[in-house]
Amino acid sequence: MAAITIGLAGNPNCGKTTLFNELTGSNGYVGNWPGVTVEKKQATWRANRDVTFVDLPGIYSLSPYTPEEVVSRDYIVGERPDAVINLVDVTNLERNLYLTTQLIEAGRPVVVGLNMCDLLKDRGDVIDTAALSERLGVPVVEVSALRNTNLDALVKKAVAAGQAGEVPAGARCFSPEVEDALGRIAQLISGSCDANLVRWYSVKVFERDAEAVKALHLSSAQLNQAEKIIKAVETSRDDDAESIITSDRYDWIASVMDACVRKAPKKLSMSERIDKVVTSRVLGLPIFVAVMFIVYYIAVSTVGDWGTVWANDQVFGEGWELFGVAIPSIPAVVEGWLAAAGASDMVSSLVLDGIVGGVGSVLGFVPQMLVLFMMLAFLEDCGYMSRVAFVMDRLFRRFGLSGKSFIPFLISSGCGVPGVMATKTIENEKDRRMTAMLTTMIPCGAKTPIIALVMGVLVGGADAWWVAPMFYFLGLAAIVVSALMLKKTSMFAGEPAPFVMELPDYHLPALKSWWLHVWERISAYLKKAATIIFAACVVVWFLSSFGFASWEGGDGSFGFLASLPGAPEYSADYSLLAIVAGAIAWIFAPLGADTWQATAASINALIAKENLVSTFATIFGLGEATEGDPVMWQAFAAMFTDGAGVMHAGAMCAFVAFNMLDAPCFAAIGTIRRQMDSPKWFWFAIGYQCVFAWCVGLIINQLWELFVLGNFGAWTVVAFVLLAGMIFQIARPMPKTEKADDKVLAQLA
Amino acid sequence: MAAAQLPLAMAGADEVVRVARVRGDADLRQHLAELGFVDGAEVKVVSRAAGDVIVTVKGARLALNRSMASHITVSI
Repeated sequence: MAAITIGLAGNPNCGKTTLFNELTGSNGYVGNWPGVTVEKKQATWRANRDVTFVDLPGIYSLSPYTPEEVVSRDYIVGERPDAVINLVDVTNLERNLYLTTQLIEAGRPVVVGLNMCDLLKDRGDVIDTAALSERLGVPVVEVSALRNTNLDALVKKAVAAGQAGEVPAGARCFSPEVEDALGRIAQLISGSCDANLVRWYSVKVFERDAEAVKALHLSSAQLNQAEKIIKAVETSRDDDAESIITSDRYDWIASVMDACVRKAPKKLSMSERIDKVVTSRVLGLPIFVAVMFIVYYIAVSTVGDWGTVWANDQVFGEGWELFGVAIPSIPAVVEGWLAAAGASDMVSSLVLDGIVGGVGSVLGFVPQMLVLFMMLAFLEDCGYMSRVAFVMDRLFRRFGLSGKSFIPFLISSGCGVPGVMATKTIENEKDRRMTAMLTTMIPCGAKTPIIALVMGVLVGGADAWWVAPMFYFLGLAAIVVSALMLKKTSMFAGEPAPFVMELPDYHLPALKSWWLHVWERISAYLKKAATIIFAACVVVWFLSSFGFASWEGGDGSFGFLASLPGAPEYSADYSLLAIVAGAIAWIFAPLGADTWQATAASINALIAKENLVSTFATIFGLGEATEGDPVMWQAFAAMFTDGAGVMHAGAMCAFVAFNMLDAPCFAAIGTIRRQMDSPKWFWFAIGYQCVFAWCVGLIINQLWELFVLGNFGAWTVVAFVLLAGMIFQIARPMPKTEKADDKVLAQLA
Repeated sequence: MAAAQLPLAMAGADEVVRVARVRGDADLRQHLAELGFVDGAEVKVVSRAAGDVIVTVKGARLALNRSMASHITVSI
């Protein structure tokens, strides 16, 4: 059999990605909020590797309003797959068929899969599949992507259609007057395009879709003639051409629905009843806050924390017991191997302090992240997340952000990489850019070891449930302040785009897609630990263990510090890392964190945020010590204590705030770059993050010094100037822009 | 008989109304039309809070904020 390519198209949230995963065994990300697939993915069929599926993003139509629609349309009309499977959510048939009427015009063989028929039966509705197939002029198959029923039949029909190359004629779905006009346009353009695409382009010409019509290279005479035909219909219908096409399509669909669907009498569905409560004006926000409190309480303070403590203290600490059998800790096992192999001090140091210590402190964090991702994935899959976007829209609008920005923020609390990617579903370009810029300011999973470290120093490991939420609020506050300031620049001025979003039915997530969803995020983190973080640990170990013997009595030679003759016990001060970081530490002087250790940790945190803690572990020579160890707290606190023994807590907070808010890790930076798709915007985003973080750190440190320790200096003045500047930027009036929206509102008033 | 017309943002909860016209720029009108807000379409208001509404139209449930809902004029 010759290789065949099949495109999967359908509305957002119709189950396409579930179908793709069932067919290919691949683990694409499935969510129950519209817009999960933001780029097209491809993989081969499990049953026959000659069949390749391309999972297209969910779309409502083929006329490009969003980037997803452009991707799908370019693919179907431009790259021309052998066949298209149009998956249709039957609980939403009327809406879904709108896209179908366009797909059957696009000049490719189409097979329609009716998904979620089981839900329809629960409602008591019945669909006449044969009648539907006859009216659409394409095969129609009832399937359930979730339960994997009838999927093979669907694919076989699509393969057959692709091999036969039978292109549907497209439904005659417009009123006679429009059909007549389309016929005349078809004659006009018939020489300019593929015979299969005449219907498609006739409609596009009628809609005046300039982007699509460009491909035809029509002469101005042809365009003038077309314009006359369109104008005549517009005059007679007293409406614009695009609206005529849209409403005719829906009229035709309504007639198809009447003929093919028998609906049971309607009652208020469960989803509607739940929505009345969770989106209500009074209860919506408190319910959301309660849900999030439970999520983070479980993930950060209780279950997730037990897992992390177990991983740190037992797996990477003293060893543990399983059913009465003592299992030694990983460092102990590795130490044994090294001793048995007769490894030198240098090799032992590399493996134990560098690799096991560094990577271990990162892996210890996996249980906590697993719990968080499991709960966030559940909220997304069951459908609550899109309600949250709607509820938060009321609040976010005041800060110049759309409620759609909220989903990226929430995902970023797990990891910034999927968070930045999720911004793609925001239609408005300004909103999208601003969200991609700010979303990594939310503390991601990798930043929680930093929080735990500060928590240890501040409250000594006491049960202080409020410390972790405080950092989430710091992140949110930074986003709100940034959004308010950026909105006043000419780049971002204007109201956020008005909000409209589909709310899918609530359902219990399928175990498999839920787990795939969690696994995708966790595995991204593990890959990072195995590659970037591993390499970073080796590099940091090298830089901090090698140096020049420049201490008193030293001969200035270069080598492994601990082996050089006469090396002091704390030799890291003479390392290469100390030299490099020391050279640029002055940048952080106003933040009170100008030690080379702090600078080195900040640099390493750019590779991966969790490196901040592992770098300290390596530099202080604490081996596998983690953020939960009192020795680590002491070493960290000592860094911010001056010669007189005064602890500069402001400097410590400034240092942490800087590392929370500055440019994220390389993985997330790379994602921002792809998302912005413009070097100018990318550098603006990274530059803004770093400068903003530096300013916040400076203000925190200087105000603490002034009000708590009574120190006043030139930088105190700078802090007040920066603070005043921020307040001015927030308070100043919005620069003038076209406010189409306000005009509409003004007309109503 | 001319039916009373008002912005969707002002329609009450549980009311069933029909789309009379959609305002806004061409892109916005087109997007709303694709979501089902075409002239004459039946819209059921599921819930309403300060002009933010959840409605069902063409079989789908949609959330709109006040400014989006103000673009849609409906008749009772």
